[in-house]
Amino acid sequence: DCVAFKCIRHYFPRNSILSCPLQGICGTHSAPLSTYQAPPPIPGSSMTAFQAMNLWRRCFEERGVGEPDQSSQYIVAHLLGAKTIESLGHEKLNKPLSCAKMEQLWELSVKRLSRMPVQYVIEEWDFRDLTLKMRPPVFIPRPETEELVELVLADLQGKEDTGMHVVPQLTCLEVGCGSGAITLSLLKDLPRLRAIALDQSRHAVDLTRENALRLGLEDRLLIHQVDVLKEPEVLLSLGDSISTLVSNPPYLFSEDMTFLEPELLRFEDHAALDGGEDGLDVIKQILTAAPKMLSIHGHVYLEVDPRHPPLIQQWVKDHVPGLSYLETRHDITNRPRFCILRRER
Amino acid sequence: MAFRAAFSLLSTLRRPVAVLRSLKQPGRTRPAHYGMQLRPLHGTAPRWSARLLTAEEMFGRRSMQDYLKKLEREYEESLQKANSSESGEGLEEEQLRAMRTRIHRMAPLVQSLRELETNEAELREAEALLTDDDPEMRELAALDIQHGRQHVQALQHMIMELIVPDEEVDLCDLVLEVTAGVGGQEAMLFTAEVFEMYHGLSRHLGWSFEVLEYMSNDLGGLRRGCAGISGPCSYKRMKFEAGVHRVQRVPRTEKQGRTHTSTMTVAILPHPTQITLTIHPKDLRIETTRASGAGGQSVNTTDSAVRIVHLPTGTVAECQQERSQLKNREMAMKVLRARLYACRLEEETSRRYLARKIQIGTKGRSEKIRTYNFPQDRITDHRLGRSVHHVEDFMLGERLLEEMNSALQEFSNQESLLELLGENV
Repeated sequence: DCVAFKCIRHYFPRNSILSCPLQGICGTHSAPLSTYQAPPPIPGSSMTAFQAMNLWRRCFEERGVGEPDQSSQYIVAHLLGAKTIESLGHEKLNKPLSCAKMEQLWELSVKRLSRMPVQYVIEEWDFRDLTLKMRPPVFIPRPETEELVELVLADLQGKEDTGMHVVPQLTCLEVGCGSGAITLSLLKDLPRLRAIALDQSRHAVDLTRENALRLGLEDRLLIHQVDVLKEPEVLLSLGDSISTLVSNPPYLFSEDMTFLEPELLRFEDHAALDGGEDGLDVIKQILTAAPKMLSIHGHVYLEVDPRHPPLIQQWVKDHVPGLSYLETRHDITNRPRFCILRRER
Repeated sequence: MAFRAAFSLLSTLRRPVAVLRSLKQPGRTRPAHYGMQLRPLHGTAPRWSARLLTAEEMFGRRSMQDYLKKLEREYEESLQKANSSESGEGLEEEQLRAMRTRIHRMAPLVQSLRELETNEAELREAEALLTDDDPEMRELAALDIQHGRQHVQALQHMIMELIVPDEEVDLCDLVLEVTAGVGGQEAMLFTAEVFEMYHGLSRHLGWSFEVLEYMSNDLGGLRRGCAGISGPCSYKRMKFEAGVHRVQRVPRTEKQGRTHTSTMTVAILPHPTQITLTIHPKDLRIETTRASGAGGQSVNTTDSAVRIVHLPTGTVAECQQERSQLKNREMAMKVLRARLYACRLEEETSRRYLARKIQIGTKGRSEKIRTYNFPQDRITDHRLGRSVHHVEDFMLGERLLEEMNSALQEFSNQESLLELLGENV
């Protein structure tokens, strides 16, 4: 899929593909929808977890469901109370499943068969040290974002360790919090930090609050439902002494939305993915407001598309006085992924 | 003293051989090269043919007494010098600081030595009372002596512990690595059981046990497994578990009831601190499934496995234990660091311990140290030359394993001690 993705981006001229993301459902990846197959029936005889896992792996494979191995493994591990199959141990895998467990397994796997992402099927996923509740259509955090948190943590930890007796009160603002992954990770690792988290979606705001409560981090967190595209002025009302602004904004180019896997297209909130024609719609709003909200020398950390860093650097130079582009950082697959900017005097 | 109780549990199966050997070699005058160079790789002769001395015997040695006197004298002199220079004369600042550190370090030892002296004096007084006319008095004295002896022995043990020098890495956390050896599926099954045994031991001793790598096969065997272990004395104890473990039993898959012999290897890698080992990021290649395509928001993968290659040495570590890719990367790094550190340590220690009989940690990797014989329900440690029964209990990783491990530690301590006293071991 990834190779196809790349080629298509190269060979199709811009805008030649309809920009409405929903039309992607009827596009190239939608074969399983049109030719509906009934899920495999629950076998009459009892099965071990291992056998059931293999049955579903084959089924996923035959019907073109992505990551058939991992999908069947994660679902079975979850069913037996473990996070991964590796941490389960072979003894549990070789025990026969009870009727109730079989039914549960079938229910979950059929969901996966409809191309629902594994994270939604098992209703949770891990982000760094945290286990977070996951619910459609709230954006599922990607591994790259774990690295974004790493960058912000290094910066804020440095700011807390000033060596002075009075440690400055640090406040962090996140635009587009989704399930709360970034903000909650920061709050967990920085016990003095306060945070404000925004999202345009009611679902996301609710899920962030739920995750914060489960982790006991709600005391230092303010959550607002705000659409920065429609009401950018709300950003300015949030204050002028934010120490750090962090965001994993929607950054996909609208034209690329069509080629996403059905898992994303059918289940994830498009507003959390689609960044407009050049993927910069939300990014531009954030950067415009940044100098007015940040304290002096406060930083902006963004996760972006690999094509974005030079575009952002130029745009900021031309349009946002008081904000300077510091550097581009790469993710572990060595793609330019993160932009760091700073408010100047 | 726990180890002495352990010995009463250990079967004396090999003991006659051991005694015979020590008789053949009177006065501990084995050639210096009796160590690892001449040891056949798969020999089953016990490593310690000499028997373990009791604390009393150890303290009865002149060399031991001389050494203790020397230490005490040194302490007194240091104390005097430090005090006199405080009133303004003599030593440089730095020398003084070094001396204070030494005094501080020796203080518990000297304290115990003095306590021992007092206790011994009391014991002698009580012994004098044994010849008293009053039977009640004699009874009381006997009771006193019993208590006194216990106390003295405990003190002697403590003193021995304090004298034996810690190895540089003794205080490290460690990475346990188990690898299936000869014997196919059966070896892999046994490897899984041994991994579980050390999990049990960690629980038993209150250490943390974090699975870092678990490469199993479909039939429940374990090709290779890694776990990070940390807790008090974890490396100090676990280093004696490194080496080849051999299993003799009828495998589950064997139809004709024949006994097979299979092996697996345990390596104990001390985990280095950030300071002792630096790895340059540019020397690493990190492999994930997200390496192709555009990554980021455009894909949602659940495969969070991470593989790291250290390019200059070709050392590899991988982890798929966690759902978080970052966690997997951290764990793979932990294993990689431990492997790289072990390589370096191996180079260093091979020089230092060339002549020593006990090989520990990674050095003993190729040495067969223990046999688990299921038909005879017996475990033999080839270094001790001793056996213990109840394989199943042993493999729970609880009391029996702890006791065998303690015995190994006592032996190793004795060896270090005799080496320290300048005796020809």
